[in-house]
Amino acid sequence: MSFFSWAWDWVTTSANWTGSGSIPHQILAHLGYTIVPLVIAAVIAVPAGVAIGHSGRGAVAVVNLANAWRSIPTLGLLILLVVYLGFLFVTWLVPLVVLAIPPILINAYEGVAGVDPGVKDAARGMGMTSWQQVTRVEVPIALPLILVGLRTGAIFVVATATIAAYIGLGGLGRFIIDGLASNEYGPVAGGALLVVVLAVLVLAFFAVLNRLVVPAGLRSQAKASRTE
Amino acid sequence: MITFEAVTKRYPDGTVAVDALDLEVPAGKTVVLVGPSGCGKTTTLRMVNRLVEPTEGRILLDGQDIREQNPARLRRGIGYVIQQTGLFPHRTVEDNIATVPVLTGWPRAKARARARELISLVGLDEGLAKRYPHQLSGGQQQRVGVARALAADPPVLLMDEPFSAVDPVVRASLQDELIALQSELHKTVVLVTHDIEEAIKVGDLVALYRPHGTIAQFDTPERLLADPVDDYVAGFVGFDRGIRRLSFFGSTGLSLGTGPVLGADATVAKAQDTGEPWILVVEDGEPRGWIPAASLGGHPGDTPLGRVPAEGVGHTFKAGPDSLRAALDAAVLSPAGQAVGVDDDGRLAGVATFDQIRAAIQAADAAGARDAAEAAGAGQSDNSKKPGARAAQGAQPGAAP
Amino acid sequence: MMWSWIPDNWSLIWHLTWENFKLGVLPALYGLIIALPLGIVAARWRWFYPPVLTLVAVIYAIPSLALFVALIPAFGLTDTTVIIALTVFSLCVILPNVVEGLRSVPAPVTQAATAMGYGGLRRLVTVELPLALPVIIGGLRVGVVSSISLASLGQLIGVSSLGYLFIDGLQRDFPTEIYVGLVLTIALALVCDLTLVGIRRILTPWQPRREKRSRGAAAVPMRGAA
Repeated sequence: MSFFSWAWDWVTTSANWTGSGSIPHQILAHLGYTIVPLVIAAVIAVPAGVAIGHSGRGAVAVVNLANAWRSIPTLGLLILLVVYLGFLFVTWLVPLVVLAIPPILINAYEGVAGVDPGVKDAARGMGMTSWQQVTRVEVPIALPLILVGLRTGAIFVVATATIAAYIGLGGLGRFIIDGLASNEYGPVAGGALLVVVLAVLVLAFFAVLNRLVVPAGLRSQAKASRTE
Repeated sequence: MITFEAVTKRYPDGTVAVDALDLEVPAGKTVVLVGPSGCGKTTTLRMVNRLVEPTEGRILLDGQDIREQNPARLRRGIGYVIQQTGLFPHRTVEDNIATVPVLTGWPRAKARARARELISLVGLDEGLAKRYPHQLSGGQQQRVGVARALAADPPVLLMDEPFSAVDPVVRASLQDELIALQSELHKTVVLVTHDIEEAIKVGDLVALYRPHGTIAQFDTPERLLADPVDDYVAGFVGFDRGIRRLSFFGSTGLSLGTGPVLGADATVAKAQDTGEPWILVVEDGEPRGWIPAASLGGHPGDTPLGRVPAEGVGHTFKAGPDSLRAALDAAVLSPAGQAVGVDDDGRLAGVATFDQIRAAIQAADAAGARDAAEAAGAGQSDNSKKPGARAAQGAQPGAAP
Repeated sequence: MMWSWIPDNWSLIWHLTWENFKLGVLPALYGLIIALPLGIVAARWRWFYPPVLTLVAVIYAIPSLALFVALIPAFGLTDTTVIIALTVFSLCVILPNVVEGLRSVPAPVTQAATAMGYGGLRRLVTVELPLALPVIIGGLRVGVVSSISLASLGQLIGVSSLGYLFIDGLQRDFPTEIYVGLVLTIALALVCDLTLVGIRRILTPWQPRREKRSRGAAAVPMRGAA
């Protein structure tokens, strides 16, 4: 049997849709474990990235942050916290927030720092205060990259929440981890498929958001430069 | 009016960008700062709207020290145009132009209406109002940049190499637009360029910088060409400054003759009688061509001149409005060595020889020298800031820069 | 922190590090081998690239654990599964870098080469690829570093890596082991990253020493170990 047939069989078994720990329950839980850390991380990381991009102070640290962040094994980090603290709210929420900050911060920084220097000079020269420069010019122009950062962060949190099932978190990872432990491939495949669907939905969500939020001038400009 | 008093800009690593500068920019005039790369002209400009703060000295705007004003508020009262335009890519053309009015509290509808006025003022089609900057050509973007700077009707306009990034044809037309705008608006304009031709064309006054933040000469373009203070200035201004200077002399004082002029129905015999080496044939009042006297011999005496093959008129000049340079150029291009002057309708006004042009040049020179002497005699107290000044920093005529 | 555990279990630690190293480097290498021809094609035929990019973005969004388990029916609970999955992810990072790297070669340079008589293949190998090397190696670095930390997840399906230390450490409630795992994973990633920087410096002696960052570049590819 292939992965898809295992997954399909399991997902279409109605028994899996009722009771505690059922598919809809875990889907909602996983959404919660994704949205909450993402929002907290965004609230911290977007203003920080924008501020560093605008002022230039601290830029050196940001540049090196990406590499450092990529090398951290999240499973190890989660396990370390559980060993010391046991399984608490904090044990999963804090690492998810902290680990989601770098992609959001770095892309927000890149977005603002990458604004055409002529545009920044013009904005300052025509009498905008720093706040006005940031809110009326730099952030709108940086919006595409800020959204990419948020999207990357969201995907990352979906994936990490999946792994966190190993230390006891609920959500779709539960099916995978429990299935592996009890040698039942059905829930493993089904859980994996649902997680992938969720990830793709996140991508779709941000694609729509991009269409809604990014100023028209930037989108057509980006399209013009891509087809060249 | 903008006044620089002993302004110096020194950076932490020791480089001095601007060195004890004294300069007075009269209200309603275009002052061009020109010089080699790194001479401090852009730094000087950016000190006016406090994008750069002087290390020493002070800058007065209409008598008030600019440091006493809040920087953002100061800048909203000063138009600022830069080489890369800095147009906001996320806003339409009209919203770009409306930026400062909106910033100062205008309702958006009123600001947009004003923007559309300015779009026409800078010579663009109003249909471009809703386009985005990346959809415009380089020349169009520059015009939008100028419109944006003028939106709040600031008395002062700062321009940093505004036309350097476009091709020469577009640049010439933008320069002409600026001159035309200024004749209407009379803003106090400070323009930075590295192109001496642009400075001479556009400026009422030109400040020519030495390489390290001092001014070699601050004068009218004509005086700069006529009387460079030293070899450095003469070299920067360029080798044919004598001829280029003639652009500043009008041709109203040029006497025109009609000696060699005959109608197309005049006969060959009459032409030969004049004794002129070249005959200018006119028809319906307009010049048609030059006939060399030597070729008249081959035709019977009663042939109308209109039938005799003639050489081209060459280039004509508008007698009165055009400069002596145009007259000289017309004489050079004419096969007869005489300049053909016409009026606005293209009808012949008269003809001028090289000698007559030379006489006009000498007269204009003498008049110019008289004016300069009167001006020098009148305002005595502080010559260093006024035009015609030999800048105090080691710029003795003939001294090595 | 029980320091004595380290020398006592040296052979285990060494074995796991070596396995993790293989699981980090091999996928990146395979990814490079696949990405190079694909990238060359995408750089040449412009219409090919945008759909490829979209596909790459979708695949890169798949959580690693999900891809691991999806490959189990085909490849079993072996390191092949992990290597294939990590190769796919590395490919997602290296391919855009190959394309961007080739595109970043200034057009005047390629035109000059053609005008001097370089044929297509020769120009590609001797002019374009060397100049694209810094960007390509940049992608390779991301691929290697990500793979090294993602490999630890393989332990969840029984594939040996430094992740074993995490899981065993959890089961025995033994933080020392976990610390060792964390430090070694990060150190391994750092060593590989610096090695690649060194390789880049050797292969591109014309480049300035400082790593130059291009402004306005595409978004930074970020995955993290998840």
